[in-house]
Amino acid sequence: MQMDQRYMKDSGKLLGQLVDRISYLTDIKADPGWKGLGELMGRVEAMRQSIYELDEASIFEEIDKIEDRLSFLEHLAAEGLTPAEIVNIARSLQRFTMSDVLENVYDSFAELGGDGECNVDPAVVVARATISRCVKNKTYSHQVMVIGHEKGRGEEYRNGGCARPWGNAKALRYMKVAETEGIPIHFFIFTPGSFPVEDYPGAAQQIARNLYAMARLRVPMVSFISEGGSGGAEAIGLTDLRLMGSRGYYSVISPEGAAAIEGKIREGEKLPSGLVAHCAKQLKLTAEDNLRLGTIDRIVGEPPLGARRDDYAFFRRLRYELIRATDEIVLKTKSFRAFRAYALKMQSAEKEGVPEDFDLVINWDLTETEIERLLELRSRKYRAMGNGFYLEERRPSLLGLGKAKELASQSYYEIRYGLLRSHQRNVMKVIEEVSSEGSVLLSKVTRPVKAAYEFVFPQPERLPRGERSETPERRSIFAEEWEQYVSPLANEDRTVSCPNAAKYSCLDLWVPDLYGEFCGVCPSCGHHFPLEYRWYLEHLFDKGSVEEFNSNIVSINSLGFEGIQARLERDTKKTGRHSSMITFDARIKGIRLVVAMLFSDFRNGTVGAAEGEKFVRACDRARITRRPFLSYVHTTGGIRIHEGTLGVIQMPKCTMAVREYIESGGLYIVVYDNNSYAGPVASFLGCSPYQFAIRSTRIGFAGPRVIRETTGEDVPPDYHSAKNALKRGHIQGIWDRREFRKNLHEALMTMGGANLYYK
Amino acid sequence: MGKERVLIANRGEIAIRIMDACKELGLDYVVVYTPEDEASLHAALAKEDDVGGLKRAFRIASYKDPNEIFSVADQSDCTAIHPGYGFFAENFRFARRAQMRSRPLVFIGPRWEVIKDLGSKINTKRVARSLNIPVIPGSDGPIYNEIEAESLAEELFFVQKEQGLRHPSVLVKASAGGGGMGIEEVFHLDAFRRVYRRIQNYAKRQFGDDGVLIEQCLRDYQHIEVQLLCSRHGEVIHFGTRNCTIQSAGRQKRVEVAPGFDPAVVEYPFDARAVLDRMIAYSIRLARHVGYDSVGTWEWVVTRDGSPYLLEVNTRIQVENGISARIARIGGKAGYPSLIKEQIRAAMGEKLGYRQEDISFEGTSIELRIVAEDTRRGFRPWCGVITRFEFPDAAWAQVYSHVPRDRSYNIPTEYDPNLALAIIWGQDTDEAKTRTLEFLNGVAIEGKDAQGEAVIHNLAYLSGRIEDIFKF
Repeated sequence: MQMDQRYMKDSGKLLGQLVDRISYLTDIKADPGWKGLGELMGRVEAMRQSIYELDEASIFEEIDKIEDRLSFLEHLAAEGLTPAEIVNIARSLQRFTMSDVLENVYDSFAELGGDGECNVDPAVVVARATISRCVKNKTYSHQVMVIGHEKGRGEEYRNGGCARPWGNAKALRYMKVAETEGIPIHFFIFTPGSFPVEDYPGAAQQIARNLYAMARLRVPMVSFISEGGSGGAEAIGLTDLRLMGSRGYYSVISPEGAAAIEGKIREGEKLPSGLVAHCAKQLKLTAEDNLRLGTIDRIVGEPPLGARRDDYAFFRRLRYELIRATDEIVLKTKSFRAFRAYALKMQSAEKEGVPEDFDLVINWDLTETEIERLLELRSRKYRAMGNGFYLEERRPSLLGLGKAKELASQSYYEIRYGLLRSHQRNVMKVIEEVSSEGSVLLSKVTRPVKAAYEFVFPQPERLPRGERSETPERRSIFAEEWEQYVSPLANEDRTVSCPNAAKYSCLDLWVPDLYGEFCGVCPSCGHHFPLEYRWYLEHLFDKGSVEEFNSNIVSINSLGFEGIQARLERDTKKTGRHSSMITFDARIKGIRLVVAMLFSDFRNGTVGAAEGEKFVRACDRARITRRPFLSYVHTTGGIRIHEGTLGVIQMPKCTMAVREYIESGGLYIVVYDNNSYAGPVASFLGCSPYQFAIRSTRIGFAGPRVIRETTGEDVPPDYHSAKNALKRGHIQGIWDRREFRKNLHEALMTMGGANLYYK
Repeated sequence: MGKERVLIANRGEIAIRIMDACKELGLDYVVVYTPEDEASLHAALAKEDDVGGLKRAFRIASYKDPNEIFSVADQSDCTAIHPGYGFFAENFRFARRAQMRSRPLVFIGPRWEVIKDLGSKINTKRVARSLNIPVIPGSDGPIYNEIEAESLAEELFFVQKEQGLRHPSVLVKASAGGGGMGIEEVFHLDAFRRVYRRIQNYAKRQFGDDGVLIEQCLRDYQHIEVQLLCSRHGEVIHFGTRNCTIQSAGRQKRVEVAPGFDPAVVEYPFDARAVLDRMIAYSIRLARHVGYDSVGTWEWVVTRDGSPYLLEVNTRIQVENGISARIARIGGKAGYPSLIKEQIRAAMGEKLGYRQEDISFEGTSIELRIVAEDTRRGFRPWCGVITRFEFPDAAWAQVYSHVPRDRSYNIPTEYDPNLALAIIWGQDTDEAKTRTLEFLNGVAIEGKDAQGEAVIHNLAYLSGRIEDIFKF
């Protein structure tokens, strides 16, 4: 009788659950016919159709049979999950979403800036929430800010968790709120990538702003990655501790995107699924791989086939891990070392299983000194990322000499430009204040003191503008002064048509004129034809002033991506360089500066671990020597997908270095040329306060093809043009190539603070 | 080695003159014409010469597109190219391309390096100053600094006051400008800064380069030209001087006279002959310095006190080359020379074969530019159909025109409404003037425009200005 009661109530529901489980498994395997799944599904469907015609005992018999079979299949599937299947899990409609986390992990929450359809960007959810823990049967709550992507449930419109620029702007705004209130932030990354629209201020620019702010946000931050797609993930991913679901994925590009690039698949053609699976495997996107590469800190265990919406055990575990992670960040900043060690030990001892309650309550408020320590730890953490995934060739030199030299030069610059200069400034300030009292007597007294002081520390003599032109440089609107190095492109007797000919009726250009005297610029409409990077090396800087450093850092095939080794070797042979970044010291009209240059001939200017490391070192060099830092982007194709997340973490890593350089009073100028897209633009390039573009440059987050495939909309041909970038507030100005040197010198003289060595 | 063939990349009367010179030298030639110039005589004459299966007239879309010119040259197997005046004559890029392309052409004119060096007035001034050749006082390069500019202006005002000039003034110009754009005159130092800033902004906006030139403003001067002829073998010969002071409102020359001064008819407050000799000597000095190797004109201004200043160098054959040739006689040769022929010979690498001592001058020659323009309304060009165009036939008058006389001619709106050049010669200045007036009386121009109004021309203006020649 009792049995019957249960049967009456549950048979329909049980069948529904079976359907869900089968379709989930089908999603994961991406194959309806896998091990008879389709047939199983057919049986369940048939039973649902005829549920009132069959007798109940037989229904339950059948349900038990199907369930047995299904459980067996689920075990089978969980045993050998491939990376491609993990991607399917992370993308499944049945996977838990941001709303589930808010409801189940936090005790109470209030969503900020969003109510159903009325939302700045429904893909980004921000909430003020409380998270609580039990200690000895007492409940303690913590205030936190929760920011994350919402993929949407069912038919709900959430744009698949792809944040638009204003969604990321919203996230940034509430990060600042949390900073003001001094509460920790929890981030949840559920995004396949950022939505590649270039509306104000552009996807790339907004991500760069977020990264720049997060580099020194003065509160503890934890992020949890379920689906981490490149730039979109990074926009809220620069945190003190990164957790990752064991069935999540974190990657530089979707496996489909990688397959399209690797297989050179044309638009509209179907991607071979074998190639996609192959790429998913090569990209090293699973939690285990990422932990091994050091791009995440900890894995939060999920059930073998991934956590779903109703997996309350997992949510409990997630809450525990989030509290533990925040505790850990806070404890690390405490100055009381012994206490710190004790607390950490206590917590890591109970790694296995989720305990019911915590041993102690830790206050998440930080004092001023603790915040400083937090920032220092964050900087150290990101600077260390990706280390060991490039090759540093040792140059034969006396052991330790380089290190000693480095230290000596560091203290030299510190004394020369730091101590002495600031001391001098303070003394002069006092003298001026005293003498400005207006008393003749006082000024009479102070004048000799001032004179004597100026004699000892002479004011740097600033040449008036007129006298600078005394150098025998020929000034002209055409760059006569640059005619020493002629681009090899000019050695051809033919003409090319300017692409603007129809609009401005430009005459065809004779190639030797164009690439020689005209510097690759159409004289009638100003269209810039691309020039090779060497041209800039020769013409931008003072003759013979370019001195390369760190050329011994070599790009390697760190993930063992198939076929990349050969391509790296080919590019090395072609260019004679070992990475797509050149870092060097140079001078412009006597002003010394440090330059990092990305150029196109080596893997299309993509950024990997070696490039990032070179950039960070150049940035530090500029900081120590107090020189201006120029980042010239000849071309960049984004993050090198063959280095997977090792490439992606170059974004926060380099941004961290840039932020520290700028905060130390440096002048960071970025100049884009040709094509500048994706990751680098969305991080360490885009975060500069002074970004300029050479005319006819294209700047953006994703190329037209990706935009078409993602948004389904065609973009106008000048969508990424420098003019549009200027219009939407990404860059600060457009420069003519012929006036590059002049403008750069002007910029060095007018921009930047007093901390630069020549100011 | 086939016969030399010259592509004439120009239109109008100069194309006809080059055509004649080529024929006299025994060279083959090819002309180009645009659809608007279909009726022009230069195209018609060339088409008449289409004998022996050789096409001599090629239709192109524009005289200004070098790509088209070079493709015609390749198509018609030309070996040399004559740019005439205007268009590509002083374009060093065109000359360089002709020389450097994989199928090189002889550019009939100076080497491109010379065109480049003397093409910019600023650079010419700098070179001249280094050779102690007098140039108009002022900056010798673009100035980008306000303070520097003002101190220079102050100096210029001071110098003019020293000279006792009653209304001293300086000119502020955009260094990248040309043709009268971005020029302003300043009469007081107090007003200088405002004008300087205005011109600087204008230059930045218009030309993308905010360099500004400053120089003394000269008034009351005579515009004198020195005609030189040089060869690739270091020969430098001058063909005397010309006076081109009579110009239209847009600084277009209308009446030219050779020689430059005539002390027999006008009294000068200075030794005219000595001043001319000085200018010739200076011009030759500069020509030798840059290694000049073609015909060229050195333009000078001479102020009332007799001081010459070098203005610029025209590295091409000029419109008014005929009058210099007309008064010159080469010892041992009959008649007067043709500078166009000499230019072609020099470009082909020949030696001139005579020296300065062989050249003597005889009489006065006046050139008139007959243009359909309204001289009383700012020299506004007139457009319409010329139905009758006649002029007296005399041994002392030579007329060059691209207007056909046997049929009516529609003046193309795309180009200047020049009708003819007349070169008149007399034994002395008075005779030349009388003959000029006599010639002008005999010219008959009839025609009407689209509204049926009669043709407007500058004949009356020309005869009114004849009395003014040589005079300050």
